[in-house]
Order: sequence, then C-alpha cells, then structure tokens
Amino acid sequence: MKLSFWQIVTIPILVGLVLSWILFSEPEAEIEATISAAQALSGGDTEGFTQALGPREFVFPEDHGAHPGFKTEWWYYTGNLFSEEGRQFGYQFTIFRNQLSPLDADLEHINPEDPARINPEGNSAHDSEWSTNQLYLAHFAISDVSKKDHVFDERYSRGTAGLAGASVDPYRIWLEDWEITRVKDSKATDERFPVRIKAEMSDGTALDVVLNPQKPLVLQGEEGYDKKGGEDGNASYYISFTRMQTEGLLKKDGESLAVSGLSWMDHEWSTSALDSGQTGWDWFSIQLSNGYELMYYQIRNADPELTPQTTGSLVAPNGQKRDLDQGEVRLEVLEYWTSPHTGARYPVRWTLAIPSEELEMDVTTVFDDQEMTVSVQYYEGALRVSGKFRDEAIDGNGYIEMTGYEQE
Amino acid sequence: MSRHHHDLLWQSSLRFLLQHPWHFLLSILGVALGVAMVISIDLSNSSAQRAFSLSAEALTGKATHQIQGSGDFLSDQVYRDLRLTAGYRNSAPVIDGYGRVQGLDRTFQILGVDPIAEGPFRDFSSQDGGIDLAKFITGQPTAVISDQVLEDLAKNIWDSLQVSVGGRPFDLLIAGAIATANQRSQQALESVLLVDINTAQQLFDMDGQLSRIDLIVPDENEEAILASLLAGLPEGTRLVSSGSRTDTLSQMTRAFELNLQALSLLALLVGMFLIYNTMTFSVVQRLPLIGRLRALGVTKSEVLSMIVKEAVLIGLIGTILGITAGIGLAQFLLGLVTQSINDLYFVLSVQELTIELIPVLKAVTLGLGATLLAAFWPAREAAEAEVSTVLRRSSSESRLAQRLPSLALTGIAVGLAGGGILLFPNGGIIAGYSSLLFVIIGFSLLIPALIVGLSVLIRPILGALNGLIGKMSVRGVVTELSRTSVAVAALVVAVAASVGVGVMVDSFRVTVVSWLESQLQADIYVQPPSAVARKADAQLQAELVRMFKETEGVASVHSVFSEDVMTTFGSSNLVTTSLGAKASESYQTKEIQDGFWEQFAQEEVIMISEAYAYRFGIGMGDSLGIMTDKGIQSFPIQAIYFDYASDMGTITMNRSLYDRYFDNRAISGLALYADDKTEVDVLVNRLRDRAVGVQEVFIRSNKGLREASIEIFDRTFTVTVVLRLLAVVVAFVGILSSLMALQLERAREHAVLRANGMTPGQLWNYVITQTGVMGVIAGVLSIPLGLLISYVLVYVINLRSFGWTLEFMVSPSLLIQAVGLAVGAALLAGIYPSWKMARANPADALRSE
Repeated sequence: MKLSFWQIVTIPILVGLVLSWILFSEPEAEIEATISAAQALSGGDTEGFTQALGPREFVFPEDHGAHPGFKTEWWYYTGNLFSEEGRQFGYQFTIFRNQLSPLDADLEHINPEDPARINPEGNSAHDSEWSTNQLYLAHFAISDVSKKDHVFDERYSRGTAGLAGASVDPYRIWLEDWEITRVKDSKATDERFPVRIKAEMSDGTALDVVLNPQKPLVLQGEEGYDKKGGEDGNASYYISFTRMQTEGLLKKDGESLAVSGLSWMDHEWSTSALDSGQTGWDWFSIQLSNGYELMYYQIRNADPELTPQTTGSLVAPNGQKRDLDQGEVRLEVLEYWTSPHTGARYPVRWTLAIPSEELEMDVTTVFDDQEMTVSVQYYEGALRVSGKFRDEAIDGNGYIEMTGYEQE
Repeated sequence: MSRHHHDLLWQSSLRFLLQHPWHFLLSILGVALGVAMVISIDLSNSSAQRAFSLSAEALTGKATHQIQGSGDFLSDQVYRDLRLTAGYRNSAPVIDGYGRVQGLDRTFQILGVDPIAEGPFRDFSSQDGGIDLAKFITGQPTAVISDQVLEDLAKNIWDSLQVSVGGRPFDLLIAGAIATANQRSQQALESVLLVDINTAQQLFDMDGQLSRIDLIVPDENEEAILASLLAGLPEGTRLVSSGSRTDTLSQMTRAFELNLQALSLLALLVGMFLIYNTMTFSVVQRLPLIGRLRALGVTKSEVLSMIVKEAVLIGLIGTILGITAGIGLAQFLLGLVTQSINDLYFVLSVQELTIELIPVLKAVTLGLGATLLAAFWPAREAAEAEVSTVLRRSSSESRLAQRLPSLALTGIAVGLAGGGILLFPNGGIIAGYSSLLFVIIGFSLLIPALIVGLSVLIRPILGALNGLIGKMSVRGVVTELSRTSVAVAALVVAVAASVGVGVMVDSFRVTVVSWLESQLQADIYVQPPSAVARKADAQLQAELVRMFKETEGVASVHSVFSEDVMTTFGSSNLVTTSLGAKASESYQTKEIQDGFWEQFAQEEVIMISEAYAYRFGIGMGDSLGIMTDKGIQSFPIQAIYFDYASDMGTITMNRSLYDRYFDNRAISGLALYADDKTEVDVLVNRLRDRAVGVQEVFIRSNKGLREASIEIFDRTFTVTVVLRLLAVVVAFVGILSSLMALQLERAREHAVLRANGMTPGQLWNYVITQTGVMGVIAGVLSIPLGLLISYVLVYVINLRSFGWTLEFMVSPSLLIQAVGLAVGAALLAGIYPSWKMARANPADALRSE
C-alpha cells in the first residue's frame, strides 16, 4: 500500500490527539479521603470503667468537680431569664465530660527502649500534657421566646493541655472560652456556692450570668444514687441545685440585655444508664411560683407496652425533698410537633398531675422549635406551666429534655 | 497541479528515504535522542513538582494562614491563648516532621493533629473523616497510613508499625487506613503518616510544643481578623499565609530544575545539527534528480514542500520515538531527581511518573520545530536548484570559500555578543544560558575557517605519515567544506558540551573536597540521621550529649544546631556553633572584618555564607533582621564564609549569642576531639557502644564523614552526570551519522578513485584517514569550546544559580577522553562506507555518469 504524506502524518496526529484527550481531559479531582477504621479491640463498652453501684458519701467541694473513671459526666444548667422589659429567654448551658477509654495501667509505651516514658494515666511528669483520655463537649442554647428563635452551638475539645477540664480549687469547669467558675460570696459554703457562667456562640450570642443557690443541694434518688435501668450499674450519681437566683447579661442579635431569673443545675455522673431495651427519656425540671420545684423523668422503652421507669422529686420551699414513687406522676401528652429539621416528632404539651400532692398542671413548651441538632440530636426546651396546687393557682417555668426521638 | 502529481513527488521522497535507511534512521535518531532528553527531564521535574504540590495541598488542607514560632517550634501556650483568650475557633494545632517506616525504604511525612480541631481543615484527619477518637488519641499510640501503604507492608489494622524518627525507634499501632477517593488523593497521601498530636510530641520530643497552628481566615474581614490575631500573638511568633511555606520550598528547586532543563536543551541543539547535516546530505545527493524534476515542470515551491514534508516525516517519527523513549528515561531520571531534591532541599517522595500535557506538547513542538528549522536551509537550497544538472557542488563550495571570512567574522561577532550578555548586571540564569547559546553558535560559524586553518597544519604531517593518500584525505576535507564543516561543527558542539559539563562537575567536586578538608577539623562527628542529607534537621538526645561529653578519651567537644528561622528575607537556615573564636580554624572566609573571631565569640555579630550573600544581595556591614524568641533582632554581618553544603545559604552565629535570644536548647550535632592517649578509631567504637539503646546516630571519624559527604555530593550530581553521558551518546551517534553520511555521499568519487586504480586497501586507508582527520579536527576544536562552555557554567551559571565560587579545574584525562571520543567515533564511521565501497563494483557506481 502506498501511503500519501497526509495519511502518514495525519494518523499519528489523530492518535496523539485521541490519546491526549483520554489522558488529559479528566479534570483534577479534589483531594478527598476518609479513614477506614478500626473495629474496637477492647471488650465491652463499659469494661474497666467505674460504675455507680450504690449510694456513696459526697465530699464537697471535691464532688462538684470531675469524677474520672466514670464514662460520662455533665454539669447541666438551664434557666428562664427575663429582661427588664419582661422579654423571656430560656437558656441551656451544659459541659459534658466523656471518658474515651478506661484508665489502664499496663499501656505499653511507644518507645520500647525508653522505659522512662511509660504513660499509664496521662500524667507522668515526662509526658506531654496533650496526652489524655478525656473528651469534653459543651452545648449552649438560647430560646428567645418573643422571637420564637432558638439558637445553639456546640464545642469539643480534648480535656487537657489547658483546653478543657474541671478543677475544684479554684473551681472551674471549662471548655476553651466557655466556662463555669466559682465566684466569691461571703455567705457561700463549700456545699452551696455561687457560680458564674460565661459563654459566647460563634454567631455572637452570649451569656454572662452569676447564679446563687437559694436552697441547699438536693441529692436526687437514693441519697444521690439514681437508678435508671433495672440492670446493676445502670445508675448515676445525681445532685441538683433546683433554684438558683440568676443575674447578668445576655447578648443576642447585637443587643445586650440585663437579665434575671431562676436557674436549675444538675450534676450527674455515670458509666452506663440505660438498659438495652430503653430508648430515651423525657426529663422535666420545673420551678413553681409557690416556691416548690419538681424534677420528674420517665425512661421510655422500645416496647410501648412496658411501663416507663420514672423518678421524681418534689422540693419544698424549705429545701425538703420528697421522692415521687413509680406511678405517682401522671403524664399525658396533649400535642406533638414534628421537626422540620430532622422529621422527629416530639411532644410539646402535656398535662402533669400528682394526685397524692393535689397538683395538676398544664405544661407547654414556650415555642415548638427548640430542637438541638448537634453531634447528638435531642430536644431541650423552655417550659411554661400553670395549674393548681392544693387548690391554689400556681404557675412557673421550667425545662424539658427529650432524647431518643430520632427518626428511624 | 494534480493530486496525483503531488503523490508522485512524495513517493519519490519516500523511496529515497527508504533506499538510504542508514541515513533515514540516523536522522530520526538525532531527533529522537534530543526529544527524549528534553521530555525526560521535563517529566521528571514536573512529576516531582506535582508530588510536592499534591502533598502540600493535602497537608495544608483548607488552611489559609499559619502561626509559626521563631524557629521550628511554637509553644502550645500560643494555641491555648488563641482558643481561650482570643476565642479564635478556626484553628488547629499541627506538628509535622519526618520519619521512616520499617519495611519501606522511604521517608514519610508525619502529621500530628488534634482530630477534634481538624474538621474544618483536613477531611481525612478529623472525626468526620472517620477517626475514632477513643482509639486514636487514647491508649497505645497509634498511626493511620494510606491503604496502599498498608497493602505494600502486608499489614492489617491493629498490627504494629515500626517507625524511626531521628534515629529513635517507635512502635505504633495502626489504627486505620486512609481510603482515598481518587487517584490524586492517593498520590497526595501515599507518604503521610497521620498521628495524634500527643503521639507526634513524643516522636519528635516536643513536649508542650507545636510546629505550627493552622488557621482559616475568611476572605471578608481578612485584614481586620489578621490584625486582631497578630495583636494577640507573643514576641517570636509570626502569622504567614499557608502558601508561603510551600512557595518557599518549591522555589528552592527552581535553579536546580532550570539547570537540568538547560542541559537537556543542549542535547536538542546537538540533535538539530545532526538533522541539518543529514537533511543537507539528502538534498545534495538528489540535486541532479531535483534538477530533472524542475526541468519537467515541478515548481520551486513544490520542491520546497517536498523537502519540508520529508523533514516533517523525520521529525514526526523522531518525536514519537523520542517521547516514548523519554518516558522510559524519565522513569529512571525521576528516581535520581527525587534523590537529589531529598539530599539538597526537602523531603519528597515521588512514587510514580505523572505524564502531563505541557511537557508532551513542548516535546512535540521542539521536536518538529527543531527538525523544520534545521531543514530550512537544505530545503531552500533544493528549491533553488537550477533546471540544469550542472555540478552544483563546486559552485557551492566556491561560494562558501568566498564567504569564509564573513562567516568567521559573524561568528566572532555572535560570540562577542554572547560574552556581552554576561556583562549585564543582575542577568539571571536564563541570560547565562542564552550567552552560552550565542557562544556555541558563534564558535560553530568559525568552524569552517578553523578547519581550513587546521588542515594547512595537518596536511604536511599526514603527508609525511601516509604519503599521497594522507594528503588527499586532508584536501578532501577542505574541498568539501560545505559538508564537512557542518559535520565537524555538530561533532564539536556535542563533544564540547560534554567537556563543559565534565569540567564543571570536576571543578565543583575539587572545590567541595578541599572545602570539606578545611571545614572538618575535629576527630569525630556525631549526627542523628536527618531527613534531608545536607541539612541537620534532627536532634541529639540530651542524654546522649551528656554521656558523650563524659566519655573517657574525649578531650573536648563542640556542638552545632541547625534550624530554620524567619529573617528579613524569609525562612533561612541558621547554624549555631559553640566553637567561639576557634571557629576561625574551620571556616574559610571570603570577606572578613578585622578582629572578627573575637567579636564572633563575644559580641552580637553573625557571619553568612557566600550563597546567602549572593541570593539576597547583602554583604559586609549590612544587618540581618532575625525573628527571635525576644522579637525581631538585627545582627550585623561581619564575615562571609565559603560553604558548599547548601545553595539556599546559611547564617552562622555563636551558640552563646543564640542562647541569649532563643529559648531552644537543642543540639543537632557534636564534634569531638580525642585526647593524646586515645586512638580515634578506638574512641569511635567506644562511643558507638555507649549510644546503643539511647539513640541511633552516625558516629564517624573525620575521614568517614568526609567520605560520606563526598558520596552525597556525588549522588546529587548523578543526574548531571547521566545527562552528560547521554550527551556523549548523542555526540557519538552524531559523529557516526554525519561522517558516515559524508562518506556514503562520496560513493561516486570513491568509484572514480577505484576506477583509476586505487586498490580496496588504499580506499580503506583513504576513507578512514579522512574521517580520522575530521575526528581529530573536531576533537581539537571541541576543547576550546568545551572550556568556554565550562567557564560559563562554572563562573556564570553556578554563581547565578547558587552563588558559589568554584575553583576552575580541568583534568587532562577529560580532554583526552573528548578527543578520543571524537576520533574513535570518526574512525568507526569510516568503516561501513569503506567496506561497502571496497566491495562494490566501481563500474556500478559510475554507471549513471
């Protein structure tokens, strides 16, 4: 075959063009990768952790601090605050401590030739202070009632290197620049002391308030030992300040407002709480206008036939606590709200009655959308209540926490 | 004209090329070799660059800015303040460094991060990316590597991984594998070892310290945010954009890569001479045919297009072969280029060659362009062939003879212009190479005149040695000057290029060896293994330093420490020595202030290396601003010393001065002197015994270190040496092809000689002598040009690229080698034509007459 010049020349040029089209036409991809991890090596989730197995003696102020060894711990503050013009704001501020692994004495060090650097508990003098098994997490939310605006933010940090932690003296529970510190007050005791909460969200919403307990510490459950599930160890240590006078500044949408009102503090630590069949809880904390406070929660079961596990306490104006037995509280849902964010369906209005105390009230969230969609999904909402207590008309404010409503 | 007619011309071209296969192949080879050299260097450079920028992109992530310390360390207090006081949340602490993974012979970039803070920065190192916090940051130290590496190591998740950092071994658990989403990510992350920040602090002995803090600063309000961040930073920290470090690093290799490119272009230039030569030959051979074609009505432009088409064919085939061979060559060169970058500049792991469009397009353009350019004059000559079949040769010879003086004068002018380019102050490397090109072209234009001159000298000698045949051979060279001069020029350029590069490398080596001798004064040197050979980037354990100082037989010790600090001119290498005034014995200075050494020991003065002075245009009496832990301090430069370790340049200060301004007490090397009673080798062994179990370090005698350094030096020049060898191959092929072509072309003349009674033996003698004469002429002429080239390389290119003063060193063996190469190839080139001619029946060759 006799090839013409153009045939000879065109063929390689075409081949070259096609090749370069194939080789070079692909756009440059973004650098993208994920970690294919890691099935757990260790045994069960709770193995090696300390468990709440029975009542214990509390020592203050130490027990206001952290309890390493337990898997989970939280310092939970909620409250309803009012500006001078009467604008209502609910707030939630919680710092969680999460222990990632049990303390373990026989960890091998990475440099086998250097025994000096063995690091059993993350506190060997030779070790870097970045070493830790504590993860801190914090949630901060404001419910602006008049605007029906719920804003929230979440923070994470390792619980070391000064970034987050819990110290008793000076008292400070902090995650970066969000913190709960003890403030000076001549009347304060080690058991009952005023604190200052200071936090600012990324969008500028901020809270800087001082909280003063009006009543002594309440040891919830059995002397502060609160059984949640039927299984051994599925319990927590649980202490509360149920009425704390609160004053300070709240900043939202560029406005800075002087606010005052009442707060509630729960401090709770545990390793495991729920039994396997339990799905979540509805947890009320209500401060009534007549000086009483009610704490009540029910732990729902996957099987709706089963009666929920409940715990409750009624604190009298003098600080006396009465435990509410299983079945003493009647709770009925009147209304549900379906979250546009997650599709979850939460109750938002109830009637709550304690016949033995002649208490009956209507409980309503101040507005529907107070869902927290952070690394975990739950509902944390300010409440308004009104009803009758021993024939006396009462009202009040409070908070509801609902978990386990995730859409399947 | 009909299409058919065109085809006929083309068929005649093809037939001619196929009937002269040697010729055809050699011209293709000329193009192919040149193209192969250019593309292979381009591809290995671009692959190295791509690997570098990919890994930088992956490791920088979405960070826009970084906070760094004065040196390589940053106190973690800065991060705490940033988070707690300034409340700046788009920030993440980072520790980076290098280590070797046992089982894989390459250096990994170890990235230490806090996965909790990583989210906005790097997807693969955050919780969102799948990091299991409990496993990653608590318990036994863990690491995450790419799934490819896991496969290469034949390991599984939760197996243990041995990592060596600065000579210290560590066991890490593999806590996960990085699963990359695409090929680019795969390349970017294949040499990354991801660890928790706490693990990194232990690996690098950086308790309470970070390498840097990554930041994301949004575009809006960028200036205000930066200003407020800056206001909160303590003295001795700096806030830079993320790209600046990457830019600094990639700029480091620019001169290195440019020089390799230039050398590869030199090969293409030689290739052009070859093409020119063979195209001319093919035209000349066909002049009678072309004359007849013209007589038959073929137009000038058709003849022109015929030759151009041939050139396109040769160029195309040569380019395709060249690209194919170049890709293969690049696979090999990539390893060498990467090795050099690792020895000289920074850690870079390039696992595979990336073929990019630009180098390929460049190769196609250069290959075809060079062929067409080289074919231009022969094609024009063909087109201007007259309709008659007169003997064109003699007229073109006489025309050339007339033009000899003007050609020579033009050559001198071009050469002088080349020299003139060098006079421009601040001329860069490119100006240096342009001047080189002018010098080469100028010299080539002088070659015809030089051949005539030389043959006058050679003729009587050969006449005496080889009688009439000797004389005839020399005459033959001159009478066909239009052909021989091109062949000789091609030869000269090729051989001279190899001489030039050879002399440059030799000069460099001699300089470095003598510098090492003066620099290394102590008996024993202790260094941890460093990631970059020419830079001390690892530290000695304090324990080891203490032990060594107390070892029996050690008379005295001094230490050095090297780190990168921020100066007025950006990141620079600062070397700290504890020598004090004794430094005068080790450092050879280029310029020095009176009484400098006493000042160096006591006062706040520094010295800088010659390369540093050149790079930044600073000198004696100037002051250099250095960011210290006490803020920016200005230090007067009172001496400039010779240093060939780093082309980035170095600043040297006495340790006492360093300690005044920096908080770091690290040591990166020790120099020890044995006492009078102790043999150096005995002491070396004693020290080695003591180091066992503390840190794996290099303990070398003076001689041992010198040898190791020279070995590294040689390694960094491997690419250059390989390029030079390739240039020699091109030269060899060039000589072979041009001279063979020349002799084949003269088949008819040889036939006449045979017909007139010359025996086959005499013809052999005639042909071989003639090619030999050309070889000798070329060899002799390549020496001055080679020296000119090496002069420019040593005194201009090296200075402009690296700021080094080198001793000019010409070894006679190199020159003998050059002449030998030329003569050897020339003689070889004579064999086939004489063999062919001796066997042929002269009557056949004469038949067409």
